[in-house]
Amino acid sequence: MAHHPRIPKLTRRALMKAAAAAAAWQLAPRGLTRALAAEPVRVGFDDTLTGTYAANGQNTLVGCQLAVEQINASGGLLGRPVELVVEDSTSGDAGTAVQKARKLIDRDHVSFLIGNVNSALSLAIGQVTNEKGIVHVVPGGHTDAITGSSCHWNVFRVCNTTQMEAAAVASELIKIGKRWYYITPDYAFGHTLQDGLQKEAQKLGGVTAGADLTPLGTTDYSSYLIKAQAANPEVILFLVQGADMINALKQAVQFGLEKRFHLAGSQQELEALEGLPPEARVGTWVFEWYWKQPDVPHLAEFVATIRKKTGKVPTARTWQGFASVWSCALAARAAKSLEGVQVAKAMEGLKLPPEVGLMPDPPFYRPGDHQLMPTLYVGQAQATGSDPEDLFHVARYLKGPEIAASVEQTGCKLTWPHA
Amino acid sequence: MAQLVLFDAFNGLVVGAFYALMALGLSLILNLSGVINFAHGGFLAVAAYLAYTLIPRLGFWGGLVVAPLLTAGLGLLVERFLIRRLYGRDPLYSLLLTFGLAYVFEDGTRVLWGAQALPYPVPPSLSTPVSATLFFLTGYRVFMVLLVAAAVTALFLVLARTRLGIRIRAGTQDLETVSVLGINVRVLRNLNFGLGVYLAGLAGVLAAGMLGLEPTIGSSLIMPSFVAIIVGGLGSLPGTLLGGLLIGVASGVTTVFFPSATEAVIYVMMAAVLLVRPHGLLGDAARIR
Repeated sequence: MAHHPRIPKLTRRALMKAAAAAAAWQLAPRGLTRALAAEPVRVGFDDTLTGTYAANGQNTLVGCQLAVEQINASGGLLGRPVELVVEDSTSGDAGTAVQKARKLIDRDHVSFLIGNVNSALSLAIGQVTNEKGIVHVVPGGHTDAITGSSCHWNVFRVCNTTQMEAAAVASELIKIGKRWYYITPDYAFGHTLQDGLQKEAQKLGGVTAGADLTPLGTTDYSSYLIKAQAANPEVILFLVQGADMINALKQAVQFGLEKRFHLAGSQQELEALEGLPPEARVGTWVFEWYWKQPDVPHLAEFVATIRKKTGKVPTARTWQGFASVWSCALAARAAKSLEGVQVAKAMEGLKLPPEVGLMPDPPFYRPGDHQLMPTLYVGQAQATGSDPEDLFHVARYLKGPEIAASVEQTGCKLTWPHA
Repeated sequence: MAQLVLFDAFNGLVVGAFYALMALGLSLILNLSGVINFAHGGFLAVAAYLAYTLIPRLGFWGGLVVAPLLTAGLGLLVERFLIRRLYGRDPLYSLLLTFGLAYVFEDGTRVLWGAQALPYPVPPSLSTPVSATLFFLTGYRVFMVLLVAAAVTALFLVLARTRLGIRIRAGTQDLETVSVLGINVRVLRNLNFGLGVYLAGLAGVLAAGMLGLEPTIGSSLIMPSFVAIIVGGLGSLPGTLLGGLLIGVASGVTTVFFPSATEAVIYVMMAAVLLVRPHGLLGDAARIR
């Protein structure tokens, strides 16, 4: 065998060693840095910064960032500064979302975790945070199970359940017409939302004229719209979200359907209305939070601050991120601890103060299932209001505790770890 | 019921025409260069965003003309500096490159124009239905079908009558011989890539009028185009056109009977074609190696 000087070849063994070293480095506790006195309290953010829900995730992030700034300006948390560690969960890959959650907990040693816009990813991340005993706030995943059949002692939710959104809009829609046609996204969120609406409609004497499950990410809704109008309903409900909502409504209005039927739905977002041409901003909907509410203290200040930061008004997503991070801080301050169980106990029943709640009635976390009980905003989309960004007219303010199903009905049974 | 099926079939043709426009560009590039251009949707999105930016200055029609041309220019540069290096290698290399480029385009548009969907204006003259019965035929959709028909006719005329077109077709058959005959194959492939990207750009500007303009607009539209090519047959542009129209109709008619399968049906169709006729409906059997 000739002994030429040569570049060492990467062997399989060397590659495996390198991989193992990299893995060990990732998992190693950062003992040295943690010993420092002013070590910040870290809040992990694992949400949808790219893909279908990128706009929603990014607005959530803006709210979280503002909360962190305010907490630090008011003396930090237990004498330590707060730091947000941001990770992109992607919009639909549960594997990535879970891996990022583990990274945030194991490597960054976050004390709290915020996430996610996507219901399925929220549930997946909830498994990890529950296993690790980390307090986890879900800012914007709506499917009932998160604070229902799959609830956990460490998981709290800011946004509404699909049941709450269905109940809020149903009583308004029944006044318009009894025959409803559903255009529903074919995944957990859509199924539970349609189911909730059909149950509410039944109670109020409404009937289903038809219902179509549409694949997530459908671009062309024309064939569904042709079918919907043939069923001759009084109300067509669009339960799709994000880009799907924009595509469906835009095409419905181009077909002139808004002149023949009442277009409506349950959850609507400012992000979607801003993406629609003015003539397509129509219909009856529920908002989870709105930037224009009369006589809500601190609201104008909040709107002005976000406008200064981003050039746009805050959306419900911005508020959800803001309230999520503040909730962790308020509970930790009350508990005088960062320990999971103690913080979670303090968050149970926690009433958000006016400068965080930013709603007519102070929202609070219901003890039995950790679901926030907020105000719900029912009204109509509008081309433009008093402000170019005033795209929703709130007709009625509904109280969360009166809308939400009882804890028994949600099926949530919290199991706390043994002390 | 019969009327519903008829309406959905007719509407499917309109949607299929759009798929065909995207697929023809992909097909052109695939046939001559053997590159599966995953970045096609990315080019589509770039064109749509460029048109959005140009509309305040040039109006809707100006945007429709200029944005696809600018995008084609970008296509020429991408081919010249990136894709050209990978000819003659395993197709996996160019596939990976264009796959990466698709992400770069998507995130690039997100950085430049924001993640939030933008309202894309359509002239009022086009945004109303043509008749009350055929309410799904808006002025915009009729215009789109006419434009697709014009673009396809022009493309086939270019390929049939012009020197460039004849060379592209000859190159598709046997690139080596074309090269030996003294034709600059590099320039030929470059122009052909630009032409394909131009069609993607045109599709992008048209799509923005019907869909929400947001960074994922391209990736959500790309898959039906690949299916159209496979159903129609590799190497055949008329096949691609036929494939696009067929999947549009199949998807539309499926809505009537099994609404949640509108997406799945095009893949079922692809599988069926591959089983019965592996080279596609009008494809070149010699290309299946």
